[in-house]
Amino acid sequence: MKEYSVVGKATRNIDGVAKVTGEARYTFDMTLPGMLYGKLLRSPHPHARIISIDTSEAERLPGVKAVITGKDTPGGKYGPWRRFPELMDEEALVTTKVRFIGDAVAAVAATREDIAKRALELIKVKYELLPAVFNPVEAAKDDAPQIHDGVENNINITRHIEWGDVDEAIKIADYVREDRYELSSQSHAPLEVHDALASFDKSTGRLTVWTSTQSPYYVQLGLADALKMREGDIRVIKPHVGGAFGGKISTYPEQICAAFLSIKTGKPVKIVLNRQEEFAVTRRRTPMYIATKIGAKKDGTIVTKEVKVIADGGAYTALGSTALYLVGIYSSFPYKIPNYRFDGCRVYTNNNPSSAMRGFGGPQAVFISETQIDRLAHDIGIDPIEIRRKNGMTPHYVVPGQATIESCGLHDCIDKVEQKVKEWGELPKYQGVGMVCYGFMSGGIFNWINTPYAFSGAMVRVNIDGTVDLFTQASDLGQGSNTVLAMICAEELGISLKDIRLHVADTGITPVDLGAWGSRQTLMSGNAVKAAAAEIKRKLMDVARIKLGENIVYDLEAKGGRIYLTLRPERGYSYYDIVKDAIRYNDGEPLIGTGHYTPHGKGMVSPAFTFGAQAVKVEVDIKTGRVKLLDIATAHDCGQVINPPAVRGQVEGATAMAAGCGLTEELLSEDGLVLNASLAYYKILRYRDMPHITTLEVHTHEPEGPFGAKEAGEGLTTPTAAAIANAVYHAVGVEINSNPLTAERVFKALKALKKNKAT
Amino acid sequence: MAYHCPVCRKISPDSMDLARHFLGQNDSKHKDWLKTKGLSYGELIMLQVTAFGNKGYETLAEIFEKEAKVDH
Repeated sequence: MKEYSVVGKATRNIDGVAKVTGEARYTFDMTLPGMLYGKLLRSPHPHARIISIDTSEAERLPGVKAVITGKDTPGGKYGPWRRFPELMDEEALVTTKVRFIGDAVAAVAATREDIAKRALELIKVKYELLPAVFNPVEAAKDDAPQIHDGVENNINITRHIEWGDVDEAIKIADYVREDRYELSSQSHAPLEVHDALASFDKSTGRLTVWTSTQSPYYVQLGLADALKMREGDIRVIKPHVGGAFGGKISTYPEQICAAFLSIKTGKPVKIVLNRQEEFAVTRRRTPMYIATKIGAKKDGTIVTKEVKVIADGGAYTALGSTALYLVGIYSSFPYKIPNYRFDGCRVYTNNNPSSAMRGFGGPQAVFISETQIDRLAHDIGIDPIEIRRKNGMTPHYVVPGQATIESCGLHDCIDKVEQKVKEWGELPKYQGVGMVCYGFMSGGIFNWINTPYAFSGAMVRVNIDGTVDLFTQASDLGQGSNTVLAMICAEELGISLKDIRLHVADTGITPVDLGAWGSRQTLMSGNAVKAAAAEIKRKLMDVARIKLGENIVYDLEAKGGRIYLTLRPERGYSYYDIVKDAIRYNDGEPLIGTGHYTPHGKGMVSPAFTFGAQAVKVEVDIKTGRVKLLDIATAHDCGQVINPPAVRGQVEGATAMAAGCGLTEELLSEDGLVLNASLAYYKILRYRDMPHITTLEVHTHEPEGPFGAKEAGEGLTTPTAAAIANAVYHAVGVEINSNPLTAERVFKALKALKKNKAT
Repeated sequence: MAYHCPVCRKISPDSMDLARHFLGQNDSKHKDWLKTKGLSYGELIMLQVTAFGNKGYETLAEIFEKEAKVDH
């Protein structure tokens, strides 16, 4: 492993002090002079036509400055899928038909929040109720209510992936098993709810929006579409963000309505969702019905696999189509499967829209794949670790038609976790260990927004005193990307982190970056930052070379605040002196470097993949069905680790989130109404519920990544639910094919098992 | 031998490939053509995503074998 000066060294989060002292500013905290408070009126019905909306009484309420409905907007649909306009199926305020409980129909701006809330009560909406459908299988039938005009059978998206000959291969398999799953929905439940503050300047016709978002660029585009404005007349700024987890990627009604209201009133308008709205009307993880069939030889070699998925899309497309595709890809990971078929279908229903959530189809895929492979191992009589080892991907493996795996530390991860499991030793009754393997993308090659820009751009400006201003639109949501990108810049320039100042996530001043999703920022934004810094370094080295007067065959290096001959380190100059010369020698031209990155020739999914293994030890209370987590060990191959404490933080945070998906978290709904839209009833695991988590180091080098780095954030949310299910299986022998493994589910499964044994 | 999509004239090397193309189209013209053959887009898709195998595509491919085959 190469030794670096900055990269790989434990580094404090550069935002850390601001956050723990309360100095960090979030959209939630922001106010502007003369600011108005906005609220959205939402449909109480899952499916209904709007007959009329009377806003007159609300408009007369003292303190109300504007009330708008769909007819006050330029009209037309918007959405993230600009590449396929037929999938842009959303309206900021519904004009004709509401499609889920919570669809926004009107918005109010008032001088106080309580006045805005009161005004909502005064808006009279007449609805014509329409039959609704909440199950995707029912929604796809010929006689189901049609949710979107022109979309027969409510089929939103289909996906088909196939390689090899599945039907022939199944004939040569010695063991075949089929399993069916019903996987539930979870909420992102970020600490900071969705919010937006919009300020329209009538004198310039320009709009500024501060918002809690994963992608200022996507919000800028969505606003331009919805408002029928030029992108360049809209500036979107991302302050600190209190968590997002995939729920804040696109453009949302509160952002668009805050903008409309600001345009109408000429005042800044802020809209902040309440916690009930956050649970009930924002996006959620896609629930799926999955059937999977696997065939293997008696030595455990997998010869074929087939996966069928029906996804509950909810009322709109959002980013659910990518989740559907990725569940198909990840259901083949991380194993070499010579014959594979996936068919998926996303169906509109009158539930709230499902979309991206941390893992993006990965948690669902890993749950079905890793529980099935464990049971297959049992059927064959082979060790569950051995079957994974036998079939695991290796470096340079090609996933036919989809991707090439370059770096792959999967086998090292398996070895490390196996060692940990051995240390746990023999277990008492009702305790079990579940092990899981996974693979995940390090930056999605998805241009659903149809941007002509590079996927990531960055700019570096070096000042006369050697300090550096780094401009990037990459979005830190709390995962620490600001620190990682600053470290990459410092390493490339050979200077200290303290010399770097970041300017981030502001469409008015930073080069375009697609934002924080698909685990892309370390690799994609990191590559753009490294390229920008490298351009500066070249300019500095040119100056140093002239000053040194050495033969051009001798290489230079930048490290430790110096630029020097690699073979004669004592011959060199201070970086700070070279910077001054570089500016003076070039007629005072500012020292600016730009960089960009877009993956080319890297397949359909990602330019690189991370891999990992996780083992979870549990204890099952057979009287109640309650599962207690006892210990967790994770080995995650993220290539060259940029910031070790950040990776550990991601391991622990992702594991807690994924454990919730496995044990307690489920959005419950009936007839389209979310029943547990509250932190009291949506059960998130707390600190005291989590056991000790061990992070096991595995080192590889990814040639496509900056300094060899890959992601360490989303992949880590994929294994834990499956590992818990496997651990329960090994502890008490029950196969549970839905999540979360609540006490009730486990108890019922134990009861059924006892009954089966008796008969 | 080639197979032409009866709606958009896309050429496929075999009837299964044409069936995959056809059921991947979400527009009304392709769906209306299915109705003229007494088939339902929704039923074919559900068949493809609920039953193991390629049953949705195979049902459509049988029709293309008879109707969409074109000699080069």
